[in-house]
Amino acid sequence: MLILQIVSLEPLHGYGIAQRVDQISRSVVQVNQGSLYPALHRLELKGWLRAEWKESETGREAKFYSLTASGRKQLAAEKHSWARLADAVRLIFDEGAR
Amino acid sequence: MITQLVNWFRRKKLESGLERELHYHLDRRIIDLERSGLPTGEARRQALLELGGIAQIQEEVRDIWLTRWLRDFAYDLRLSTRSFLKTPSFSIAAVLSLVLGIGATTAIYSLVDQVLLHALPVRQAERIVLIDWRGDQVANGFGSWNLMSYPICRDLDKQKHLFEGVFCRALTTVNLSTGDDYRPAIAEIVSGNYFPVLGVEPAVGRVLATDDDGTPNTNPVAVLSYDFWEAQFGGAPDVVGRKVLVNRHPLTIIGVAASTFKGIDVGQVPSIWIPASMSEKAIPGFKDLLDRRTRWMQVLGRLNQGVTLQEAEAGLQPWFKAMLQQDTRRAGFPIITPERRREFLNSSLVLTAAPQGHSALRRRLLEPLWVLFAVTAVLLGLACLNVSGLFLARGSARDREIGTRLALGASRGRLGRQLLADSLLIALVGGLLGIAAAPIAVRTLIAFLPQGTAPTALHAGVDSRLLLFAFAASVAAGLLSGLAPAWQAGRRSLVSSLRERGGTAFGGVRLRKVIVTAQIALTLTLVVGAALFVRTLDALMAKGPGFTTSSLISFGIDSLRSGYSPPEGNRLIRRIDEAIRQSPITEASAIAQLPLLTGGSWNDPMTILADKRISTDRDVNLNSVTPGFFQTMGIRIIAGRNFDERDARAPGEPGQRSAIVNEAFVKRYLGGRSPLGVRICEGSGPDAKPNTEIVGVMSNFSYRGLREESEQAYFPFFEGEGAGGTFYVRVRGMPESFFPSLRAIVHGVDPALPMTDFRTLNEQVDRSLNSEHMLATLSGSFGTLALLLSLVGLYGVMSFVVTQRTREIGIRLALGAMRWSAIWLVLRDALTMILSGIGIGLPFVWALGRLVESQLYDVKPADPAAIAITIVLLCLAGLAAALIPAHRASCVNPTDALRVE
Repeated sequence: MLILQIVSLEPLHGYGIAQRVDQISRSVVQVNQGSLYPALHRLELKGWLRAEWKESETGREAKFYSLTASGRKQLAAEKHSWARLADAVRLIFDEGAR
Repeated sequence: MITQLVNWFRRKKLESGLERELHYHLDRRIIDLERSGLPTGEARRQALLELGGIAQIQEEVRDIWLTRWLRDFAYDLRLSTRSFLKTPSFSIAAVLSLVLGIGATTAIYSLVDQVLLHALPVRQAERIVLIDWRGDQVANGFGSWNLMSYPICRDLDKQKHLFEGVFCRALTTVNLSTGDDYRPAIAEIVSGNYFPVLGVEPAVGRVLATDDDGTPNTNPVAVLSYDFWEAQFGGAPDVVGRKVLVNRHPLTIIGVAASTFKGIDVGQVPSIWIPASMSEKAIPGFKDLLDRRTRWMQVLGRLNQGVTLQEAEAGLQPWFKAMLQQDTRRAGFPIITPERRREFLNSSLVLTAAPQGHSALRRRLLEPLWVLFAVTAVLLGLACLNVSGLFLARGSARDREIGTRLALGASRGRLGRQLLADSLLIALVGGLLGIAAAPIAVRTLIAFLPQGTAPTALHAGVDSRLLLFAFAASVAAGLLSGLAPAWQAGRRSLVSSLRERGGTAFGGVRLRKVIVTAQIALTLTLVVGAALFVRTLDALMAKGPGFTTSSLISFGIDSLRSGYSPPEGNRLIRRIDEAIRQSPITEASAIAQLPLLTGGSWNDPMTILADKRISTDRDVNLNSVTPGFFQTMGIRIIAGRNFDERDARAPGEPGQRSAIVNEAFVKRYLGGRSPLGVRICEGSGPDAKPNTEIVGVMSNFSYRGLREESEQAYFPFFEGEGAGGTFYVRVRGMPESFFPSLRAIVHGVDPALPMTDFRTLNEQVDRSLNSEHMLATLSGSFGTLALLLSLVGLYGVMSFVVTQRTREIGIRLALGAMRWSAIWLVLRDALTMILSGIGIGLPFVWALGRLVESQLYDVKPADPAAIAITIVLLCLAGLAAALIPAHRASCVNPTDALRVE
């Protein structure tokens, strides 16, 4: 979900995604850079990501990942279910606080 | 799953892409780290550490691309290929066994599929049903199988609550011309709704519609078949509006049917479709289109969506019963006995699913083809067993390799899978080669098929269905032949296999013996089957048609279809007859109205007036012939006299009519009584007038085919209006050399007159026996193959056993055993296998006999001679195969054998 969210903003290459993950979740989650690539390929195989070789900001060819239509749908679905879960959890906590 | 399979083929590209991707990551990271102040070497180390091992990531990503087991399987296949290439003789033997098995099965399946299973290329073929009349229709007719009249079809078509539509069709042969020369062609006479109900589209112009089939003889139109259009009009797009001549009557072409559609009879592909309203032009002399008592068409319908066969059948009965009642009150309904009337009123309509259409060929080949298919399936099983045996033999040679792999921690499942991959690979290669050989095999098979099958009707090509079947057969064969070795590998104890020295493992032998025993059992079944079919063919050939076939030529002339009127046609036939008889090449010549040995006949029940009036309880086969017929054919007249010129009086002339019946007729209906002078006539109703006198009795001979022994009655030819018939000419010498002179004689009378079925009687006999020929030849060759396969298996096992027991035999010989006792030691083993194989096989033989009983002639399904000969043959051949290793055993040198250890 994290990867999908990042890629949904703009097409990015693997290293870019790794950096973004690092920035966003610096202190919260530690994502091993090594497990990023298997995850990307799995998402590509599922058809949620599309990949193409393009020139990167440094001038070298890099593989850019972007979200497909079904990836967008999947992201929305996951966001929705996450929101419901979060709501439910908050409800429980609110209940406890009262 | 599919993507993953595809990935396998582009894995090179994927690999390099991943590598570039990872390198890009690494390089960027190094640059970034250097910017933050780390030295180059340190930055590289840090970046690699963060990423955590490139090889590991690659491995993980590969698993995603291909899934684990697929990759393993691919590696297994690669290993198998390498090991097969290293042992070519083993691989060739295994592949060859399977090519034979898969090739034979695929070839037969090709015919089974085309003739028996293939659904018509029409919209929703599963809703097409055949409608047939069960009971007495009180009707005359022509054609064969499932016939009804045209008006009944029109009535059925009105039952819209059950059927989307009901159409009818009849096949006939017409003289078809596109302008210059005439040639016989198959025409399908159809009701106007034939194409719409089937849902067949035109390729050019339009197809027939209901309006085309209106008032008889008012709408001379026709639709051409795609193949005919291509062959005769070169696929010209402006064919619509042009004319073709059908029996010299012009019909306007309104369109060409879709290329995939070849009529509804797989064996008889029409060149032209003619609306029923024009049937008088297609069938000379036919005037009974609207007669309810003339049955000549097959009736098929398309069920409404959601209506089942049973519902439709039940739903038809009320209307049908009312129609029967109404029919009996109709003008022109014949006067019949109360009993027959009851039978008529008790008739019912029967529906059968007909998604494959209607075919006489299918009826004829149904059983032979299934029998052959079963035979090839058994042969394939046998080939699998053979490959199993080969694998087991190789397995024992590979014992140490497998033991080592087990010791290194390979799982037994993984090893079993490796062995399955081996056999699957062999099977797929076998299947591929089998498919490559299939077209040749199918072409050979088609040559065996009954006469009259249009060359376009069946094809020898490989289509997707056949590929699918061959693939399924290969995979099944691969699994089957890999099963025993894989099981064997699973059972092996690690310790023992490592402790044993290479080549001395005993484990596989028992399993291999079981396999050979099973092979012997299957072989017994196939060889006995072959013996039964060969004896059937022999018996039929020995019996013969009952007349002398040598130097005899026959050909058909149909003057009406060439535009002659009946009286003109009659004169034409007489002129040709005279010309042939005056020719010096002719020894004798005669005409029969209907040809012999073609499977068809003119048949009807008869009424006999002897002491009392009786009707025959089944149809009598009828024909009419010219006076010289019996001499020409060499058929003996046993009692009374032959026909002579007196009998051949022109139609309408007064005088006694005469007939000659055969011995079977006399035996069945006249008992011991003298037949001469007895009055008979065609038909069995009360209105039948027995006015024809039996003047002679002829010996029995075959009319429809060689198997039948039917009652026959022959009439003189020119009494009826004979305008066509089959000429039988006995020539002086080799018949083939007289074809041109006979053709010249006929064309001297009318150059445009086509001669049909121009061939020698020997050829005609062969043709009428072609399904027997097919069964005997094919089951014979399959039986031989089976025998070879199992002998090879037996030989293999016995050689192995001798190698295994070299030491034991050596010790025995050293202790003073005689050489023959060593031979006996081996032969006893072989004999045990052969005899138990025969024991297991005998019940199968019995079952097979029941299965093929209807295909046999003059042979019992459990024919003791066939079984005894087969058993002796199997024992002798088996012992011969075992004798070579046995001889080797007896030559073992005791000192050598002991020194081996």
